[in-house]
Amino acid sequence: MLNLFTLVLQIAVILAVCRVVGSLFRLIHQPRVVGEMFAGILLGPSLLGWIAPGLSAYLFPPASLGFLNALSQIGVIIFMFLVGLGINPKELKSHGHAAVLTSHVSITAPFVLATVLSLYLYPKLSDDSVSFTSFALFMGAAMSITAFPVLARILTERDLLGSRLGTIAIACAAVDDVTGWCILAYIVVLIRSAHNTTSIWVTLGGILGFALIMIYGVRRLLRRYQTIYRERGQISENLMALMLLLVLASALCTEWLGIHLLFGSFLMGAIMPKEQKFVRYVLDRFETVTVTLLLPLFFAFTGLRTNIGLVRGQEMWMYCGLIILVATAGKLGGSMVASWLSGMPAREAAGLGTLMNTRGLMELVILNIGLDIKVISPALFSMMVLMALFTTFMTTPVLELICPDRILRARPATVPAEAAVPTLTLELESSERISA
Amino acid sequence: MSHTNRNFIIAYIVLVGLPIVGLAGALKSGRTLAPPISVDGAWTLQPDPVQLAALPCAKSLVSVQDTTLAISQSGKNFTLSFANWPKSIGSGRVEGTKLTASLIPPDVWTSQAGCGSGRELSIVATVDGKAASRSLLGTLSVNDCPSCATVRFNGFRQAPPAKGER
Repeated sequence: MLNLFTLVLQIAVILAVCRVVGSLFRLIHQPRVVGEMFAGILLGPSLLGWIAPGLSAYLFPPASLGFLNALSQIGVIIFMFLVGLGINPKELKSHGHAAVLTSHVSITAPFVLATVLSLYLYPKLSDDSVSFTSFALFMGAAMSITAFPVLARILTERDLLGSRLGTIAIACAAVDDVTGWCILAYIVVLIRSAHNTTSIWVTLGGILGFALIMIYGVRRLLRRYQTIYRERGQISENLMALMLLLVLASALCTEWLGIHLLFGSFLMGAIMPKEQKFVRYVLDRFETVTVTLLLPLFFAFTGLRTNIGLVRGQEMWMYCGLIILVATAGKLGGSMVASWLSGMPAREAAGLGTLMNTRGLMELVILNIGLDIKVISPALFSMMVLMALFTTFMTTPVLELICPDRILRARPATVPAEAAVPTLTLELESSERISA
Repeated sequence: MSHTNRNFIIAYIVLVGLPIVGLAGALKSGRTLAPPISVDGAWTLQPDPVQLAALPCAKSLVSVQDTTLAISQSGKNFTLSFANWPKSIGSGRVEGTKLTASLIPPDVWTSQAGCGSGRELSIVATVDGKAASRSLLGTLSVNDCPSCATVRFNGFRQAPPAKGER
């Protein structure tokens, strides 16, 4: 039964801790979202549950976590819609061969390395209820993802959104995310179909049919939103509510089809009209509540599932180090080599690799799905969360080290900063974001 | 075909095409790997009532048969807890089909029930059966308790939620 006092207390504590830790991370030039991710870990069994188990049990009794999870999932559904809304894969075409090659290598390199690593980790961190194919494909998808919103935030903070580095990074991240989610959808179908009576081909056919209806049918209807916005300069509350309803309906459809709620909301965002001012308008309507209230609940819920205590002993920490090493070598190394071979100067190529290695929040979303469908074990989940935190945290200092502002400023911008596609940036207090 | 296009195609084949072939090879070779047997999930334990009654702390151990043993597995290692002792979390390991685990029951149990304070409850069992109908056959014992005999038990895995259900 819902204990309202406990739920409100949980929300208050989570918001307070996330704001404080987020602000502390701003002091060390990290995006606030990195601090909030870290705050989630602090509230879980890795710290609070370890040093004050009584307080932890009082604040987060296991029976109450279902409600916290439900609220956080609503937040992630809207978040994925906003991520899809900010993504415009057509941008990739405008950057030619270099971006196409970089983008595809930044997926295949970490994917292949993760699969090879799976040959080593599968007998040690999985069990016979998970097939090797599911395990390896999941590890590949999880390691090849890029945190589109965190990337956008870092580029905005460094005033690089309009630079060649920034535009290629954004375009590649968009392709990476779309590809990563498609692979993940396949894995979820693969695992769920093994336990359902429905054939995998029926499920895949249903998903394909749904995607075609969305892309060629619903997308055309959604253009009306853009037209109305152009004519009136705003969208009525009823139409915004209808948009939210469509997001939820799309999420329900993909859940019913056997993949996951989040694919539907992401797809709805991806097929929305992409005119810059319209996208900015919609982002502004949804962003505040999602970023300041609902996403911290997701970070806390993820933190409550992360138990660093499970990573114990030299052997387990070696696995964790290996995961971080392989993830970084595949993503950073793969993107860097591809962009360098495409003619990008070495430092800039290294900068692009560093940016692509940012996994952040998107990684946490994927990992939670993996834990839900039990394709990864709790210990591996904790290791992968550490990898997500590490690779996200390292982005800003490493970028500053290998690609200082003075070098990037010297390169000609390809797109004026104000013309760059608006996207969810996970930050609400900077003046440039609000004025954009 | 221009020089640039040709270079692009070569680079694409080397950096994207060949790794995908490697991926297929890795996926194929991984199918022969043997991971640890799965014991993850909720279990019902049925201790031998005669042996259980002979224990000095039998009254408390009786609760073991009325509750669920939850196992959370990560590879060969796992954590376990009984539903009526939520704060007592033990750990264990699976090697082949052999399962070993231990946990320290709550203080109130050990001090009131006659099995001594702070003593570990040990579980040694053999895992049997296919994934869908997996069972345990083993013994429960209290460490460092000369008057406590081991108790045989059977364990049955409760029907797990289908993969993907949340």
